[in-house]
Amino acid sequence: MGVDALYPEILNIFEALIVHVESATQYRTMSGLPCWYPASFSSDSSSTDPREFVQKSFFLQSFLHEAEEFWQSHDHGKLQSGLWSEPALMGDESYLEATALVELGQRFLIVQRYQPEMVTIQPVLQKARDNQLAHGQELEARKHVEAQLGTQLAESEQIRDDVIAVLDHLQLATVMIDESQVITSASPAVFQLFACDPQSLVGELWTHALPLKADQCRLVQEQIALPEIRRSSVAVSLQKQKKSWREVEVEVHEDPRDQRRTILFLKDRTEVEDLRRQLIGHAYFEKLIGKSPAMQDLYQRIQEIAPVDVSVLIQGETGTGKELVAQALHQLSERKDKPFVAVNCAGLTDSLLGSQLFGHKRGAFTGATSDHEGFFEAAEGGMLFLDEIGDMPLATQTTLLRVLQEGEIMRLGESRPRKVDVRVLAATHQNLQEMVERGDFRSDLLYRIRVARLQLPALRERREDIPLLSEAFLGQARVVTKKPEVCDIASEAMQALLRYPWPGNVRELKSTFDYALIHCHGTQIHLSDLPPEICGTPASLVSVRASPRNERKDILSALEEANGKRAQAAKLLGMSRSTFYRRLSELAISPEEQST
Amino acid sequence: MSDPRAIQKKVCMLGGFSVGKTSLVKRFVTGQFSEKYHTTIGVKIDQKSLCVDATEMLLVLWDVYGEDDFQKVRASYLQGSAGYLLVIDGTREDTLEVAHQLRALAIQSMGPVPYALVINKSDLREAWQVDPEMYKDLASNACLVLETSAKTGEGVELAFAELAKQLLNG
Repeated sequence: MGVDALYPEILNIFEALIVHVESATQYRTMSGLPCWYPASFSSDSSSTDPREFVQKSFFLQSFLHEAEEFWQSHDHGKLQSGLWSEPALMGDESYLEATALVELGQRFLIVQRYQPEMVTIQPVLQKARDNQLAHGQELEARKHVEAQLGTQLAESEQIRDDVIAVLDHLQLATVMIDESQVITSASPAVFQLFACDPQSLVGELWTHALPLKADQCRLVQEQIALPEIRRSSVAVSLQKQKKSWREVEVEVHEDPRDQRRTILFLKDRTEVEDLRRQLIGHAYFEKLIGKSPAMQDLYQRIQEIAPVDVSVLIQGETGTGKELVAQALHQLSERKDKPFVAVNCAGLTDSLLGSQLFGHKRGAFTGATSDHEGFFEAAEGGMLFLDEIGDMPLATQTTLLRVLQEGEIMRLGESRPRKVDVRVLAATHQNLQEMVERGDFRSDLLYRIRVARLQLPALRERREDIPLLSEAFLGQARVVTKKPEVCDIASEAMQALLRYPWPGNVRELKSTFDYALIHCHGTQIHLSDLPPEICGTPASLVSVRASPRNERKDILSALEEANGKRAQAAKLLGMSRSTFYRRLSELAISPEEQST
Repeated sequence: MSDPRAIQKKVCMLGGFSVGKTSLVKRFVTGQFSEKYHTTIGVKIDQKSLCVDATEMLLVLWDVYGEDDFQKVRASYLQGSAGYLLVIDGTREDTLEVAHQLRALAIQSMGPVPYALVINKSDLREAWQVDPEMYKDLASNACLVLETSAKTGEGVELAFAELAKQLLNG
């Protein structure tokens, strides 16, 4: 057998259908039919005509159109169809590929079959596409998560912005600190408080970043160290800029999401405090109460006189608060950290008063068993308040004048003068000028003590203060009488208080509330709870001062009710002790009468 | 075997990879569905006879491999098509872009033949990324726009039958 005769055998080995396309209708196989060739198209095994197969294959029919163009336009070369499967012809498991070949003007059609395992591109492509799908799904899932996170972030930011807006609206700044005391965030309202960029505080120790003084930091740190339930707010003053202070209330809270973190809530209370100070400043002055023009004028004058280191004469009816004014002068003066000594000059003999004021040496008089420091020495550096100076005996007035002129005192029984630095405040309900004219008061002493003068208004001259005073005295009386439930004054009772002329002035009003609270059995003071002189007597019929006969009777009744205790009797009558003693003297009520 | 007197129409299945072309054909031809994705190599040719308006038709379905970066569809495969199904995966927005490219190739290769725009995987509607606004350009020239599910069979028969009707009457 020649080599040429081997060609068909060799071609058979490749199991390819090789067709010589002699014309559009004449096909001739150049080899035997391959084993995969569908039996249905070769019922006669000796037949090698592939036309039926070609005609039955939709793909080959289509490819032959393409191949025809190729054959016509090429002298040699090949055109491949790419893989195809056609289950109706070959079942599901076969892939075919056709090749149109032209060589030396001869046209050939070659069809090859591939088993699925021979299509090596399939698993590679399958894996690549599976990976791409998985990657796409992963990307999609990530996008979904990102979108969710974005939404959640936007919602969180919205909530945060809302909370910050609310906090800002409430003028509530927040500073969050971690367990290392480092600021992790600060709200925009911080700028309002500290005039600094809140972001610039982040990362700093709060004790350094916030303009708090060391003692203020300590107070806040103490709160941080406490359990949440025991914490309270801390009021601090912050210096925002030069001469610009903010009153800030600091509240310490744990971060509810992370207990290692702490939130400082800083509330700007400057405006509130300013308003409160203004309100208090107008209605209250030291221990004085009243917002009437007369009291406003008095407060103004006290502020003017207090810093000037001169003697002051305070004049006013009994119960108008002369001692309170003296205390206010002391508090507002540079001597506020030195003693304030009050002495009542009424009802004391010359020697007794002299001993009390200037002190005495042991043995200076009978009963002087030891050296005694007088009030002047006790008030060294501070103030001495001489109440009821109009009742001071003339001899004592003379000694006092010398003390005021020389700045020296001499204890009774001593010859050595002692230097004293005391500012003298004197008070009286009497007209000292008239007393001078009558010879009852030394004019030179008057001139010496009235360098500055204050005239206190009677309560009837400032009736608009009665509600304010009533509220204050009701509060005090509630405590004294242990009746916290009484918290209101009935309208008719207040009307009566407003009508009454108040001869005992503020002191009488205060006593009235002690009386009313004792008699009150509900939560409100009614007209019937007030003393009879207030609730039963029209204002026009109440005299400023009772007649001497009635007053004598009142004093004796009060003494009897107080078991002879003069201080208590004075209080019952709404008088100061000094006035009470003076009235005892003026009405010639003997010690025996007082005790019976 | 098909009736030799039946009207024969070549219909191509076009779309990106894994949009469900093979599954749609399988559902239409055999009424079956497989969850497993098996990528198509080359072209798989199926056929189904159906009666449209009392006329026997043989649809020769050319399930062309899905186009992607690895395989580009050969224009020659499309030649001689009477129409095609352009398939989009409703759960993958990127299959819209491939559909646009294949539509352009189809116009170039087949001319203005009828096509049905099929948005497949309606059984996964909650995961869909596409909405009508996004495929309105593709839909504007389609003879039919249908949401289908090869898995449940929703719309599958209708898609092929309506396209066949268009091919017959068009």
